[in-house]
Amino acid sequence: MTLALYRKWRPQTWDEVIGQDHVVDTLCNALKAERIVHAYLLAGPRGTGKTSAARLLAKTVNCLSEDPVQRPCGECEHCQALNEGRFLDLIEIDAASNTSVDDVRNLRDKINFLPNQGRYKVYIIDEVHMLSTAAFNALLKTLEEPPAHAIFVLATTEAHKIPATVTSRCQRHEFRRISIDEIIAQLKKMAQSEGIQAGDEAMELIARQATGSMRDAISLLDQLASTGKEITLGMAQDVLGTATSQSVLDLMDAVISKEAPAGFDQIHTTLDAGGDPRQFARQIVDYLRGLLLMNMGNKEQSKDTADVKLQMEKHADQLSVDKLLDLIRVFNHAAYEARASWQPALPLEMAFLEAIETTSAPVQIKEAPAQRAPERKTPAKAVKAAQKTQEPAIEVSPQDQEAMQSLNAAWGEIIKQVRRDNPKAYGLLNSTKSRYIKGNQVVLCFNSEIVKQLMEKEANLEIFRHILVQVLQKDLIVRCEVDSTKRNTIPPELGDDGMVAAAVRDLGAEIVDIQ
Amino acid sequence: MRGPYFIQFYTLSNWSLWAKIMHMEWGIAGHEWAVDLLREHVAQDRMRHAYLFTGSQGVGRRTLALRLAQALNCDQPPASGLPCLKCRSCEKIEHMTHPDLAIVEAERIGGTLKVDQVRELQRSLTLTPYEARYRVAILLRFEEAHPSAANALLKTLEEPPPKVILILTASSVEDLLPTVVSRCEVLRLRSLALNEVSQWLEDDWDIGSEEAGLLAHISSGIPGYALRLHKEPELMEKRAVWLEDHQRLISSGRVDRFAYIAPLIFTKNPSKTRTELRDRFLIWISLWRDVLHKAIGTSAPISNLDHAEVIAGLVEAFGEDNARSMVSALQRTLILIDKNVNARLAAEVLMLDLPYRKIDPPAGETHFQGQTG
Repeated sequence: MTLALYRKWRPQTWDEVIGQDHVVDTLCNALKAERIVHAYLLAGPRGTGKTSAARLLAKTVNCLSEDPVQRPCGECEHCQALNEGRFLDLIEIDAASNTSVDDVRNLRDKINFLPNQGRYKVYIIDEVHMLSTAAFNALLKTLEEPPAHAIFVLATTEAHKIPATVTSRCQRHEFRRISIDEIIAQLKKMAQSEGIQAGDEAMELIARQATGSMRDAISLLDQLASTGKEITLGMAQDVLGTATSQSVLDLMDAVISKEAPAGFDQIHTTLDAGGDPRQFARQIVDYLRGLLLMNMGNKEQSKDTADVKLQMEKHADQLSVDKLLDLIRVFNHAAYEARASWQPALPLEMAFLEAIETTSAPVQIKEAPAQRAPERKTPAKAVKAAQKTQEPAIEVSPQDQEAMQSLNAAWGEIIKQVRRDNPKAYGLLNSTKSRYIKGNQVVLCFNSEIVKQLMEKEANLEIFRHILVQVLQKDLIVRCEVDSTKRNTIPPELGDDGMVAAAVRDLGAEIVDIQ
Repeated sequence: MRGPYFIQFYTLSNWSLWAKIMHMEWGIAGHEWAVDLLREHVAQDRMRHAYLFTGSQGVGRRTLALRLAQALNCDQPPASGLPCLKCRSCEKIEHMTHPDLAIVEAERIGGTLKVDQVRELQRSLTLTPYEARYRVAILLRFEEAHPSAANALLKTLEEPPPKVILILTASSVEDLLPTVVSRCEVLRLRSLALNEVSQWLEDDWDIGSEEAGLLAHISSGIPGYALRLHKEPELMEKRAVWLEDHQRLISSGRVDRFAYIAPLIFTKNPSKTRTELRDRFLIWISLWRDVLHKAIGTSAPISNLDHAEVIAGLVEAFGEDNARSMVSALQRTLILIDKNVNARLAAEVLMLDLPYRKIDPPAGETHFQGQTG
């Protein structure tokens, strides 16, 4: 069993800590001037050197070298012991496993004893964000005024989880993500001394993949090197599940030209060749970001090869900033939000379809469904619908229309009076579907035969006629009809399968108003 | 060390077969690249202290982890890096009863891996191996680990005691803490090519080529699922029933659709409700995905090979737009159900989203529906 490279290459001197000059300089100068505080808080993303810095700190304060500038010397007894992990006064606590208040009390009981060998007892509390609230509070007094020989170093990836009362008692140092160039330089240095053959492109892919974490980068290098062969770009892509940049370009072509079959096939060839769907989506987002930079006039920022750049310019011309932002949102969603593992390719496919829609002009989107809607209907139905819509327009003379208006205006008054005399008739009248006047007849249309028959009872008709005479000063004959035409009419623009259609068809709803 | 096997196959001078046998020795369907890599690690004694296998359920994560443990601890390896799968150690690991093998997982699928389990593991890992060369800890479905359990493992995962190998399995890297992932060597297992699965089913399980092909399609390249479908015929029956249900629901009104959902809801047993609904919806989403693919006209193989006519019918009736909105509706519903929303509500909303196709019923029937509604 070999030691993983990231453990083997843990920085042993301050110079070996990469990309954290702001922290290293501050700490080194303080240590040289022997201005040591009793509590440090090291915070930052994974794999940026927090634990390493904490151990270096312990080494520096306990180094036996006479000259503070030389510390840690790496040769004295204490440095050796620290390197081998057998230094008694370095107490490294895994706060994620020892979260309880009892663990902190245990620490407090022992801290008062003088160091065994060194000048200082150094307590490294790693993953400190996992301590329970009670544990944090139990630590407060000790953290504020520990014995002169004790130094606390708290390390965490999630500084926001640490109570303010703890943060304010510590000197806080923020670690940053390491830049790609720094990672590449370090990887090259390691590859050289480990005898690993690796191409520059592969190195860059590894560094990009690591997203600023040195440990991720070294792990990947380690993994790729384990076969003992030269690390090529193809091999790195295989293990990481990244697609070739050509497949990203091809997919973007399909998005721009809106060729769904071509795009789907491209997705499948990529995944069959060993691409990881999320990884692919992330690559697309990365590429789109490049296009965005181009469109904003930052051409120089992208580091791609000349022919890829040429392609990018072509794509950048065809997509506006707004569309690019939409596309980025869509593919980003596929890369991060979907937690679907039942059909790995599905989020990507849906994102692609959405992307095609996004790239079309808004006018086209609106037109498309309208054109398709009538096609879906059976011809017979379409004809029927047309007939129905024409019917009301037939045979309405001007006099009738006038009478109609007066009836409609007085309708509220009429049914109010009916209600006073006969609530039952009022209910029936209320359920009329429509009414119209034709010559000396007033026709009431009902939804169903049952209601019609009820209304046709002599008493009901009589009272209605009576009140009509009172209100309109006209004697009209009342006729009842069942209105079968208007029932279940679904306006063609609503489609056959929507909610409204279902309500009309299944639940007997009526369309009152279309807004 | 390659001994008899080497000679035997060398004389056959059939190198491709030899190469195949080498993979077969791990007894795993597909994932040649992963097996090669791990075998190389074992053979050259370049083991890492922590591995993470990711992939869909049934793709072979656990099997690969067990084989790795066997390859590490086999008493009589036929060749370096190959487990014999016959010796006592191999057998005990296969049955997960080996004293130096710790399996840690949530109490059930969809449960939670608790911090106490991790602490217990940490205690046992500090002991030297009892009889094997390595103490192997396999943490299954680590995405189910409680955040505090995942955090508790961090220090162990970074610098475990000597002679300890940790193997984690998870559905995807994104479901784990980044701090966990960065401490492991990650192997992303992917679904296999369909012919790989069907070949494996034919060779290793004596399944007829027609059935094997169908199972491979239905499982969309996930060997574990394909095998489960074969071993549990009732699953296939259920699938057929659910697909029929779907056909019926497509051409029935809202009332019937809601009536279909009602008996699937167990108010006293939410997890049963979730499984009932999820299983159905998974079948349906694969159906609609096929419809979508056919409507668009891609060359990708369809999953529901045995329902090609149904799919063609749906393509004709609804077209691409409907298929797309249906796939995303199903997807959304599945995610919601996993997120523990009101399952009944989610399912009913899905029923409303389901498109409607009239299948020329007798005139009276539609009328009747309208009235009862």
